[in-house]
Amino acid sequence: MGGNMRYFTLTVIAFFFGCPLLAQEGQGQLEEGEYSDTFSRAGGDLVSQIPGEDIMSMPTPRLPDGAPDFSGLWVGTGPHRNVRFGLQSGEEVVLLPWAKELMDSRMSRDDPEAHCLPTGIPRIAPFPWRIVQAPLSGKATHLYFLFEGNIHSYRQIFMDGREHPEDPDPTWYGHSIGHWEGDTLVIDTVGFTGVDSFWFDFEGHPHTTQLQTIERYTRTNFGTLEKIITIIDPGAYAKPFTIQFDATLRPGWDLMEYVCNENNQDIPHIVTSPSDTDQCLGQPFADCL
Amino acid sequence: MKGFFCVFISGALLCTVTSSLAHHSFAAQYDADKHVTLTGVVTKVEWTNPHARFYIDVTDDIGNIINWNLELASPNILSRNGWSRHFVVEGDEVTVEGSLARDGSRMANALRVILPDGTIAGTR
Repeated sequence: MGGNMRYFTLTVIAFFFGCPLLAQEGQGQLEEGEYSDTFSRAGGDLVSQIPGEDIMSMPTPRLPDGAPDFSGLWVGTGPHRNVRFGLQSGEEVVLLPWAKELMDSRMSRDDPEAHCLPTGIPRIAPFPWRIVQAPLSGKATHLYFLFEGNIHSYRQIFMDGREHPEDPDPTWYGHSIGHWEGDTLVIDTVGFTGVDSFWFDFEGHPHTTQLQTIERYTRTNFGTLEKIITIIDPGAYAKPFTIQFDATLRPGWDLMEYVCNENNQDIPHIVTSPSDTDQCLGQPFADCL
Repeated sequence: MKGFFCVFISGALLCTVTSSLAHHSFAAQYDADKHVTLTGVVTKVEWTNPHARFYIDVTDDIGNIINWNLELASPNILSRNGWSRHFVVEGDEVTVEGSLARDGSRMANALRVILPDGTIAGTR
């Protein structure tokens, strides 16, 4: 325990010295208004451990055959709070009337992710994830996305040239087939479970079994995995829309266990609807991903 | 020693603006505008998912002892930020600053924990 406490104390000290300082001696408690700048839980930060720009901007690593190497542990906060935060220029989310009515009626406690169910696509929980290819050398026939959260789950992407089944059984992550376009991995997914399964975000954006997602992943440098996702769901949206949420590398990290439903006490205490609360607590969208 | 740490409080807060959250909306469960500062004795630590929790007995003005349920991030994230499951143990007296649950229950999101030796376990 002594060693752990020393490590903990050193970490806290190191963190405080590494921050921009606004010395206000004698300020022993948080002042009124300071809370409004933060919505974190103690110990909940993943952002400050993004590598420095010197590491992030190094060239994209490549496999022996020249293809970009996507391995590594990524943190992509994705469309977690609101898909609209990632809308590309000129894009808009236009819900069909029934879908808007449904979204407006949703309560946050009914979000499947709060119940420790999978996120589906395009949502991704704010926990690390890893891309693994099989076989390990040569042309990949399968890719696997291994998620630390929201539950220990995975996505399977078929890279062997197969087509989608004509009538796939609906699943939370759908049926995914992938191919390369230059250095960009393109994944086409259909066959999703319907409106009663995952939400796109905390806001409750819905989907139907008509959902199709086209994801385009490009490792633009050592530390950045660009993710551009087109959402096509004529059952819920008047037109497709495209969003971008980039993931950042965490060198040296490993996946850890996260059994979400081990001690999930939150549900009975979640009392608002998404429209009741500002998911960004007043922050600009860009700071609130 | 406590004064030493207090010098840096404001800077630490500025570093947390884009901190991560969890498997549910913070704003749906906690009110960032309703602050609480609690001092009490640790009765239990749960190093569990989706949130680590610890519980403290707080004595109110008329001598009633109230047990508070205090929520942290998840153990996987806490560990990566240098925390350990031994950050407090049963019997420690700690001060916790956080945001109250919206439903009025004796539950809060712990923003900072002042440990027995005066160390502030901050928001990271």
